[in-house]
Amino acid sequence: MSRKASGLKAWVLQRATALYIGLFTLALLGVLLFDPPHGYAQWRDGFADPLIGIATLVYIVSILLHAWVGVRDVLIDYVRPLGLRVTLLALVVLGLVACGLWASQSLILVRLV
Amino acid sequence: MKFLVSRYNPDRDAKPHMQAFEVEVWRGMMLRDALLEIKRQDESFAFRHSCGEGVCGSDGVNVNGSNRLACITPVADLKAPVEIRPFPGRPIIRDLVVDMSQFYAQYKAVEPWLVREDPMPEQEILQSPAERDRLDGLYECILCGCCSTACPSFWWNPDKFHGPQALLTAWRFLADSRDQATEHRLDALEGPYRLFRCHTIMSCVEACPKGLNPTRAIGHIKQLMLEKAI
Amino acid sequence: MALPRRRFDALIIGAGGAGLNAAIQLADTEARVAVVSKVFPTRSHTVAAQGGVNAALANVLPDNWHWHMYDTVKGSDWLGDQDAIEYMCREAIPTVYELEHNGVPFSRLDNGKIYQRPFGGMTQNFGGEQAARTCAAADRTGHAILHTLYQQNLRARTHFFDEYFAIDLIRDQEGAVLGALVLEIETGEPLLIEAKATVLATGGCGQVFRTTSNAHINTGDGMAMALRAGIPLMDMEFFQFHPTGLAGRGMLITEGVRGEGGYLINKDGERFMERSAPHAKDLASRDVVSRAIVTEVKEGRGCGPRGDHVLLKLDHLGEEVIAKRLPGIRETGRIFSGVDAAREPLPVFPTAHYAMGGIPTDRHGRVLAPVGTGEEVVPGLYAAGECACVSVHGGNRLGGNSLLDILVFGRAAGLDLLEHMEAHHRPMDEASVDRAMARLERWDRKGEGLSVRELRDAFRATMEEHAGVFRTEAVMREGLDKLRALRAQLDEVRLQDHSRVFNTARIEALELENLIACGMAIAVSALNRKESRGAHSRPDYPKRDDVNWMKHSLYLMEDDHLDYKPVQTKPLTVETFPPKERVY
Repeated sequence: MSRKASGLKAWVLQRATALYIGLFTLALLGVLLFDPPHGYAQWRDGFADPLIGIATLVYIVSILLHAWVGVRDVLIDYVRPLGLRVTLLALVVLGLVACGLWASQSLILVRLV
Repeated sequence: MKFLVSRYNPDRDAKPHMQAFEVEVWRGMMLRDALLEIKRQDESFAFRHSCGEGVCGSDGVNVNGSNRLACITPVADLKAPVEIRPFPGRPIIRDLVVDMSQFYAQYKAVEPWLVREDPMPEQEILQSPAERDRLDGLYECILCGCCSTACPSFWWNPDKFHGPQALLTAWRFLADSRDQATEHRLDALEGPYRLFRCHTIMSCVEACPKGLNPTRAIGHIKQLMLEKAI
Repeated sequence: MALPRRRFDALIIGAGGAGLNAAIQLADTEARVAVVSKVFPTRSHTVAAQGGVNAALANVLPDNWHWHMYDTVKGSDWLGDQDAIEYMCREAIPTVYELEHNGVPFSRLDNGKIYQRPFGGMTQNFGGEQAARTCAAADRTGHAILHTLYQQNLRARTHFFDEYFAIDLIRDQEGAVLGALVLEIETGEPLLIEAKATVLATGGCGQVFRTTSNAHINTGDGMAMALRAGIPLMDMEFFQFHPTGLAGRGMLITEGVRGEGGYLINKDGERFMERSAPHAKDLASRDVVSRAIVTEVKEGRGCGPRGDHVLLKLDHLGEEVIAKRLPGIRETGRIFSGVDAAREPLPVFPTAHYAMGGIPTDRHGRVLAPVGTGEEVVPGLYAAGECACVSVHGGNRLGGNSLLDILVFGRAAGLDLLEHMEAHHRPMDEASVDRAMARLERWDRKGEGLSVRELRDAFRATMEEHAGVFRTEAVMREGLDKLRALRAQLDEVRLQDHSRVFNTARIEALELENLIACGMAIAVSALNRKESRGAHSRPDYPKRDDVNWMKHSLYLMEDDHLDYKPVQTKPLTVETFPPKERVY
């Protein structure tokens, strides 16, 4: 993994996504505390707004990338047998992609309904 | 005072075991003096040591769980019974003597020598006092190995992660205004292992007997990489 | 099992400054070079040198190599060979620039040039005002130089044998050196390294004294190997006691402290060096300052509850100067004496520091041995650094000339070796190999006996008592008798630990043999020199005697035989500096 795989990119990505996740979470908490939506309709309308929709999509992607770098680090550190490591990395990728697709699909559904 | 010392003789022992020694402590006694006293009692006890004043870097050991340089560790500061073990994570050759070849290989891997592309001047290459000050806290490393053998990332990947010592050395040359291999040095540190296994646990900083800060040096390297990448 | 053998063009024994600087000359060429060291190279004792390296760069004050040469001749008390001294002082300048180009992090002046500090015995204009000639990397110059040289050898892919202990030289019937028998410490297995040329760069023998600034490893291995190979040691009676060792411990406090403005005081707070050396004061030559300190203590003006040391005051220099120029000293004082040098003075007393004598060589590093009435080069053998005696230090070495010596003559040896490398290896002399193996196998003898530790302690204490700063006939004669008796006991010493892997007891036994050989050379040479010169100070012969004693001692191991040879007073190109009274 060390020959061509990235070190700096992953490191920057981890920090940049962490920053975004932090900011988005703060904003979300702010909304929930001071102006919480009443009922499903209001929720749905909120996410139907293009700006909020895009921000949420970026949030989801950030979490996935952040998780990928973090889990990859853990696997590199602790899982030495190559076969096992590759299998686990593949499973993590599949899992993360599945989560991402499902979350995106929910956002799309919100706009369709 | 009671000392528990890790013993291992490959001719005889299947694995290391602890042996107790009673040592009379005197004012100003250093841990190395205590080890010498133990060797007086049992000449078969093996450990490395030389200068006795913390500059040669031979006598790094693990004392009560931390890596220390025996010759500058006052016995008075230690809690009895004092447990002395070889550096963690390295293959044991005998008693407190470990095989440090991986550590030296990592040092060599960062190409720890000044690279100059320009023709050499007839006199010295000029360097301002401010530029020279950037090397303080870097060039003083004595290669004792206290830091790298205290680093969990080095325990997991000693063959691929350079470890705090080698990375401190890498930054020592990157920070030298006379060195002209910055790009090459940075490229050589790319990848998820060599530099980026550092998770800023900072065990190295705590372990360094010379008060150096490899974690900060690693941070500087990352920052410089970023500057050069964008 | 057959003895394993390896073949190289050159074998360098010792990986301090001299060995590594010799190796680097060879490693960048086609020559195959092996460096054998009993410790990992950066543990070599060059690492402990603090103050700096002398070169007349004139970065701070006016200077030239000829002034440096005068100071060195005078410092040597006219026992140094003036041709070698001229060579060293001229070569000093390119040598320091080369070090800088190789990466040594020298401290800097505002104009970007190398920082130079004043050091003892250094003057402008042949004995005039104090000079600033000592190039420094804070107070860690040796460390900075050793690490840089090791790094350059890594770059050049020098072949290192780390943690191999040299047992003995292999010498054939015609006297040529063919390599050495070494012992791999980790496995405990011997190895024969054949070489067309061998360089001894094993450093000093300060461990012969109980209180010393020298490391545990400084056991005179190369010197003793030379003695056993029938080669003499020169001027061994001249042993430098550094004036400022940390009292009771021996750790070195650099002369740089006094160079930066520190000074010595006795219990009355008096600056006694103003009395002992009115002109140079605290920056007089090391032998002069050491004698002054011992005299203060002997005459009841010492400090502390036992009145057994004096104080080195530097707190007036201020935090900033100390932090910038003397950080290591502050650390040492704090750790070993519990004293913060920026607030209180440090307790100091002379400590055994440096052997001016050693294996006689010419200025190309070639080892010389007496043949008939003259002397000849030993084919295939070089020596450089503290184990050698060129002689540039004569009766007393100046501070900052030791790093210079190892670098200049390590390099000279490497270059000469390269130039005169023979085309083929000579045939191996198996009888010589057997003798070397016998030395090793002697320690396999089992049974009850004296321990290495007991004999070692007794020997070192006797050396300290009978061959110290002041030496009288009666004290030395008694000492020599004791030392001879101790040497005879060597045969009764037995090891209890006969294991193979990393057996440090066996190494210490081999080192003890070396220490005793060097100690005898010192004691015999000292007893016979009936004058006071440089570091050899005899209250019963208080004057220097140029008529009878301006000559080098040559000690041979067989029958403790002593021989002498004249001092080379003719420099290479300049006029001789004729002897005169040495005052500071």
